[in-house]
Amino acid sequence: MPYLEVDDLHVGYGQIAALKGVSLSVEKGQLVTLVGANGAGKTTLLRTISGLLRPSRGSVNFDGQRIDAMEAHKIAGTGLVQVPEGRRIFGRLTVSENLELGAFTRNDKAEIMADKERMMTVFPRLKERFRQLAGTLSGGEQQMVATARALMARPKALLMDEPTMGLSPIMVEQVFDTIQTIHAQGVTILLVEQNALMALSVADYGYVLESGHIVLEGQGDALVDDERVRHAYLG
Amino acid sequence: MAVQIPEDRLKIARLSRISIVDVLLWALRIGVLGVVIAGTIGTLINGRYGWTQWVDFVVFGLTLGSIYAQIALGYTMVYGVLRLINFAHGDFMMSGAFSAFFVANAFYRSGFLESHPVPALLCILITSMIVSTAVALLAERFAYRPFRRVVGLAPLICAIGVSFFLQQTFRGMFGSSIRAYPDPSWQRATISFLGIEVQAVELLVIGLAVLFMIGLYLIVQYTKMGKAMRAVAEDGDAAALMGIDVDKVVVFTFMLGGAMAGIAGVFYCFVYKQVYFYMGFTPGIKAFGAAVLGGIGSIPGAVLGGFFLGLVESVGPALFLDGLGIPGPYQLRDVIAFTLLIMVLIFRPNGILGERLGKKRA
Repeated sequence: MPYLEVDDLHVGYGQIAALKGVSLSVEKGQLVTLVGANGAGKTTLLRTISGLLRPSRGSVNFDGQRIDAMEAHKIAGTGLVQVPEGRRIFGRLTVSENLELGAFTRNDKAEIMADKERMMTVFPRLKERFRQLAGTLSGGEQQMVATARALMARPKALLMDEPTMGLSPIMVEQVFDTIQTIHAQGVTILLVEQNALMALSVADYGYVLESGHIVLEGQGDALVDDERVRHAYLG
Repeated sequence: MAVQIPEDRLKIARLSRISIVDVLLWALRIGVLGVVIAGTIGTLINGRYGWTQWVDFVVFGLTLGSIYAQIALGYTMVYGVLRLINFAHGDFMMSGAFSAFFVANAFYRSGFLESHPVPALLCILITSMIVSTAVALLAERFAYRPFRRVVGLAPLICAIGVSFFLQQTFRGMFGSSIRAYPDPSWQRATISFLGIEVQAVELLVIGLAVLFMIGLYLIVQYTKMGKAMRAVAEDGDAAALMGIDVDKVVVFTFMLGGAMAGIAGVFYCFVYKQVYFYMGFTPGIKAFGAAVLGGIGSIPGAVLGGFFLGLVESVGPALFLDGLGIPGPYQLRDVIAFTLLIMVLIFRPNGILGERLGKKRA
């Protein structure tokens, strides 16, 4: 059984169907990328997996447990943690407090402190900003806070929703470096990106979502070379 | 993108954008400012009040202010977390104060309140806190939670309904008469300091209120739940993604707000020495004004707004109105308080420390 499995998921906003039977699976330790245009339903899918939206049909299983009826905070407690679209850091809290809240479900105080120190070595930029309000940071730094905050939960799997949105090319590369580092440490990742070429080239496996359907799937490099993907997303 | 527009053209554009409403608003500003300044000068020239009396006014203002600040904290925290204006908050305060009145009365009759003020006061405060907190939690669970995801006016109307419900419940159980709060001799004691006589009970109220507010600040700033509360106030969904149980945080918020209201209720009784079923309304609405004045959603703002409103209400009538020759300026206290609220709503709807409304989460 796959580590994270989405089966025939239907989600709608009122009368409007956003996902019309999406199925995908992520094996333990894999980095899987989901690409698609604006409005394809990528964010809806991640919000549903995380429990912020309820599906009208279908199921989500994670680590041998059915989670599609669970509340969002309980899903986070199972080790499936999301880095949401637009970063959504707590701007009026300090960087340090943001990281502490990332570890909200944990109770091992000493370990949390150690992890906070570790984040400073992963993201040296945050060290200088530690006591600063997170809202005063630049976009790239805020992305670091969002990622570090999620890592503080010691997640078994990460859902990342467009982590490179609105960042400069240099920052985009740094974000991809970070993603690969996290992946190399054994964290399972489901990455949603508009930056299709880069996202697929680092992925073990990829899916293409189009108006609520999975239209294409395959090995990451195979998808990069696929004529249809090139045409639709890479120009 | 930069297109040069000649300076004089810009000036004309700006002038033509000034509307009749702007002119009226400026006239209002200048008018109010004029009245305040004229009144102040008049009062000071008159010299009817000595400086001991001014100190009296200020101490009374701080006393009232500390009570308003405590109530305002409940409004502002609930608004921060739920974006709900909890119009029943004044009645949470009344519920606690009314219940504690029976304890106080029993202690007074038995002489315990007279002979052992400290344990008696502690019992009264704890009773009030427990009842206010319980009422707040029940209201949250049974009235507000079903409205959590409802947008529009329904939650607000629900809050007004809870307010009526509490008032009429207490009226039904205990009648509509105004009851005198026990008044032991230690509450009437005065303290002389540099030739100024100050009521001991006022200093007690200010001191304890500040102590409790510092306690609240420490809880919100440094405990895990306090941090979670600030996170939920900023972005509930993101907080849930971090594993924070938003329901628990909301309950925690109502608990803190209810406890502060309970304490404030006892203090309010110490100052006005009476209880009745409707007593929560006026301080409630004023504390709401104080929360708006400071910037609703902001905890330091609520404290600042509370003290500011208390001071204006206490010092204002003598300072602004007496000099204008208005007879019985103290009867216009509430007029000053509510004029201040209206002025804030017109000219600075975000309050002194409020966030910009446009920057609200999308």
